[in-house]
Amino acid sequence: MIKQQFEIPAGYKKWTYGLLAVGIVAFIAGFIFLGMSKNEHDQTRFWAVLLQNSVYFLLVCNAAMFFICAITLAHGGWSVAFRRVPEAISAVVPVFAILAFLVFLGLILGHRHDIYHWVDKEAVAHDKILTWKKGFLNPTFFFIWTIITLCVWTFTGMKMRKLSRKADEGPMSAEDAKRYTWNNTVWAAIFVVFFALTVGSTIPWLWLMSLDAHWYSTMYSWYTFASTFVAGIALIALFIIFLKNHGYLEYTTREQLHDVGKFIFAFSIFWTYLWFSQFMLIWYANIPEETIYFKIRFQGPYRGFFFLNFIINFCAPILILMTKGSKRNYAVMTFMSVAVILGHWLDFYQMVMPSTVGENHNLGWFEWGILALYIGMIMFFTGRALTKAPLVAKYHPYLKESIIHHT
Amino acid sequence: MSLIKYESFVREPLVDGEKTYNQVTEDIVYTIEAKPTRLWYIGFYISIALLLFGVYSLYRDVTYGIGQWNLGKTIGWGWDITNFVWWVGIGHAGTLISAILLLFRQGWRTGVNRAAEAMTIFAVICAGQFPIWHMGRVWMAFFVMPYPNTRGPLWPNFNSPLLWDVFAISTYFTVSLLFWYSGLLPDLATVRDRAKTKLRKLLYGIASFGWSGSTKHWQRHESLSLVLAGLSTPLVLSVHTIVSFDFATSVVPGWHTTIFPPYFVAGAVFSGFAMVQTLMLITRRVMNLQDYITLGHIEAMNKVIVLTGSIVGCAYLTELFIAWYGANPYEYDIFFKYRIAGAYGWSYWLMMTCNVISPQLFWFKKLRRNIGFTFFMSIVVNVGMWFERFVIIVSSLYRDYLPSSWSLYYRPTIFEIGFYLGTFGLFFTCYFLFSKYFPVIAIAEIKSILKTSGESYKEKMADLENLSVEEFYAKTHDHH
Repeated sequence: MIKQQFEIPAGYKKWTYGLLAVGIVAFIAGFIFLGMSKNEHDQTRFWAVLLQNSVYFLLVCNAAMFFICAITLAHGGWSVAFRRVPEAISAVVPVFAILAFLVFLGLILGHRHDIYHWVDKEAVAHDKILTWKKGFLNPTFFFIWTIITLCVWTFTGMKMRKLSRKADEGPMSAEDAKRYTWNNTVWAAIFVVFFALTVGSTIPWLWLMSLDAHWYSTMYSWYTFASTFVAGIALIALFIIFLKNHGYLEYTTREQLHDVGKFIFAFSIFWTYLWFSQFMLIWYANIPEETIYFKIRFQGPYRGFFFLNFIINFCAPILILMTKGSKRNYAVMTFMSVAVILGHWLDFYQMVMPSTVGENHNLGWFEWGILALYIGMIMFFTGRALTKAPLVAKYHPYLKESIIHHT
Repeated sequence: MSLIKYESFVREPLVDGEKTYNQVTEDIVYTIEAKPTRLWYIGFYISIALLLFGVYSLYRDVTYGIGQWNLGKTIGWGWDITNFVWWVGIGHAGTLISAILLLFRQGWRTGVNRAAEAMTIFAVICAGQFPIWHMGRVWMAFFVMPYPNTRGPLWPNFNSPLLWDVFAISTYFTVSLLFWYSGLLPDLATVRDRAKTKLRKLLYGIASFGWSGSTKHWQRHESLSLVLAGLSTPLVLSVHTIVSFDFATSVVPGWHTTIFPPYFVAGAVFSGFAMVQTLMLITRRVMNLQDYITLGHIEAMNKVIVLTGSIVGCAYLTELFIAWYGANPYEYDIFFKYRIAGAYGWSYWLMMTCNVISPQLFWFKKLRRNIGFTFFMSIVVNVGMWFERFVIIVSSLYRDYLPSSWSLYYRPTIFEIGFYLGTFGLFFTCYFLFSKYFPVIAIAEIKSILKTSGESYKEKMADLENLSVEEFYAKTHDHH
């Protein structure tokens, strides 16, 4: 018999509560010393950090569901042995959706024009470009589309997880198995199409690109997707390794880990491809309206982050994950997964901060504290979700394929 | 018992019918050993005729100059660059199938990879013609090569994406050719070993490089495939990326947009798969290969078509949205006055219909598995993808920044059209020769999946399928 019921180890609990404690303290201290501060820069910092983390980790956890749905549509069998892991990560989406929504409420109802310049009616009226964009950049549309998006992600994700639990019930006949895979593909397709309409296009424009309300780049949304997708896969890898180290997931072997490693490798390069294309085309054409975005990032105070971003998210994965051995090695994969998750967190940092806090950037107790809070929450809610379902969907039609998996 | 691979019963077989290894060889090599059919000759001669028309058109072009074409003051690139991008795009499916699907271990690629790779090579040859002959004084074509020379020395402009194209496409061509040919070696050796005539034995003997089928040969063959797949994968992305740079690096409204690279790649794969469908549907019928290129294969390719078509659609709408959102009057005018409306508005809507709207019908399983509909759609998609390039190029160019240089309505001359038709002739001449002298399906690769994915073999696995997971695990891991 395999171990199906996950019991949260004491060490895991200790870390979870430790991180949560640090995070909550940081949040409260941040609220008092920054959020309530008389200094405008402090207030901006408070909100910008909340925005960066709430959007980043929401998209990362939602990427785990995208991973499941994409593989379901492609009829991939190899990942079934650890499918419950991304499912558990995606169970965090409803929680993070609510948190992100609260942050948006605070930003827009609180008229934080230092974050979203377009919420300032006065400024919009005197700005020809913002007036032109009013049809898209306005609180009403922002809220309607955000609410729809968060609800549909939550609902379709839950539906996919519920369908997955059907594979715990009992053996399926050939007919049942076909119908089961079909149902899965239908819901996966709905998720993926909606994902394209949100993460693949509108949502990054609305939530992030509008921080620089004058600036635009058609690549922006796909770039955001690539950044969070690779981090989502890295998160999956971390949980697989953690569970393997505690004697769970008997059917998941180094073969699967190797393939997850290939995904991290490939999508790191894919991210770099989009990063380079966006940067190079704007640099090459040299149109001031467009280069302004990179002016502060590439030549200004964020120059260090600009290169760090490239080193962690491209140089490290391509060099370290190139060999077969590294992708099958728990230590290397753990190291690289942490690096990629933090690396793309930094990527979001350099997407959000230059447009909000600008020159007065910090990477201090509050930034790290909120990061700890979010990591603590991911550990808490994912851990809890893992205890709620058997770790292997025993009657999934593709499970046997996953057991005999050689990469 | 230890297994290398197990395939669920939910998956349909990749090879239909009761096949033995010998039967596979017989089925595929048959067409090489028999005389071509009448249909083959008809098709071949039509292709040759088209090719000759193309040669004549080029003769006019070289003798009288580019004035033979209707290019204008601002439309310096018309049909030729449209055709160039279109053909390069078509080539992408072959590389995607052979490289990316190999890395993803998609078993169904074995039914179509050989023909798709061949198609890639022919498509790239066709594509290459356009920039070469567009140079006008084609005897100066070697000027694009960067080497220390006595012309000043005069170097090509390394900042120009057109020069990057030279490198990208020649690398792509070389690697694709190597990939295709190294995959052919075991199959050519099969034909050699069965040869009844001396000449055939000699020629296939030379072509198969002394392949003996030893374990060492197979080992090297496998590692070579992996290395070439690893090299080709970035090439699939890079070639059309650089083609998109030809446009996107400029400050021409409608061209300068950051989404171009991935969107061009998706569009290229989209049109490439459509062309593979066109060819495979004919090939399987004419050569009786329905057992190897099954409805399942066709459905899988249609899924790729609906996926890439939708990605392209997402990019079209993104461009359109940002043209409004960006509040740049030039961008806005190009999209909203000269693309969706204006003199060439019809071509924009033709593109939208063919590339975005109609492929959505492939969400329906019935239509994905309908051969007639698939064939029709494969043509529609390629028409649409041709018009995509036409829209991008002509609608951005015919309205310059300077109204005094606004051009008249652009119509190609008979020799522009002739050149394009000529490349069809070249493409199909090559394809007909290929289908006569080479195994159109990778025999060795079909054999590698036969015992896990062949219909009759899957039936024999029923007792494994009926085991519980624990029993299955114990049984397949009993050597520990």
